[in-house]
Amino acid sequence: MDSLKIEGTISTPDILFDSDSGVLSMSGESYPENSFEFFKPVLSWISRFMTAHKGEVTLNTHLSYLNTGSTKCMMDILDLLEEFHTRGGRVTVNWFCDEENERAVETAEEFKEEVTLPFHIKAVKEE
Amino acid sequence: MQHVTLYDLKETFSEEGILICFAGPFSHSIIEELGNAVKSYLEGEQLTKASLMDVFSIFIEQTQNVRNYAELKAGEGNTDRDFNSGIVIIGKNEENYTVSSGNFAKREDVHNVVERLDMLKSLDKRELKAAYKDQMRREREPGKGSGLGLIDMSRKTSKPLEYSIIDIDERYCFFSLKATV
Repeated sequence: MDSLKIEGTISTPDILFDSDSGVLSMSGESYPENSFEFFKPVLSWISRFMTAHKGEVTLNTHLSYLNTGSTKCMMDILDLLEEFHTRGGRVTVNWFCDEENERAVETAEEFKEEVTLPFHIKAVKEE
Repeated sequence: MQHVTLYDLKETFSEEGILICFAGPFSHSIIEELGNAVKSYLEGEQLTKASLMDVFSIFIEQTQNVRNYAELKAGEGNTDRDFNSGIVIIGKNEENYTVSSGNFAKREDVHNVVERLDMLKSLDKRELKAAYKDQMRREREPGKGSGLGLIDMSRKTSKPLEYSIIDIDERYCFFSLKATV
């Protein structure tokens, strides 16, 4: 299966999902004109990947802003990973955020509350 | 420009504490550009990162709401009002920043929004979080947004969202929403 690569813009994140290593990375800001349309291919890639993939999966996110539409899509992504986890798949989420931005940390915590898979909040110092 | 000079406009803006104002059609690229301008402006102000992000995110939600509403109306074949032409303002009064937006709407559509805003007004922050999570788990209705925008804004404001409605004629009104961070 091919990897998924979407170049970021001002309002859409950089996406690199590597099908060989199982490392899925997302970074940037996310407030697309139509979140649902933007995330549709992303969700469908993950969905297909999860059915075929046997090894470990790691999602690394470094998203400084998500609008509400993107938040809902991110929940859908986490639900797919959670499903993989409950089927016995090995999956880890590393959610990077700015330690000085309490709102970003809260957002991370709220996503974490919604799943049981290993979800690490990595609050780091940013410029 | 017959009755008001640019100087008068500018003076009114500063008297009213208006820092940034845009009036006209909201395109996605205008939202992106203005969003960047808002962010750079606020970075120069004495503001925590969390408050800066709150103002920015409310700005994005409000402008995208206006734009999504306009798209929805265009899709329904409503073209007799320029729904996409709106106004958005970032203001500051004493301690607080405000984000306000205004646009033309059908009176019957505003009715639903007002009902929702009045309901949200009665919720405290904990109840708003519960409402947010509940909405996040709902199936998306075709052609609609996530349904999270107003709840999300309410969670980030220091007081409930305020609105005003000015009736234009039997079918249309001008709807304004104000968020205070």
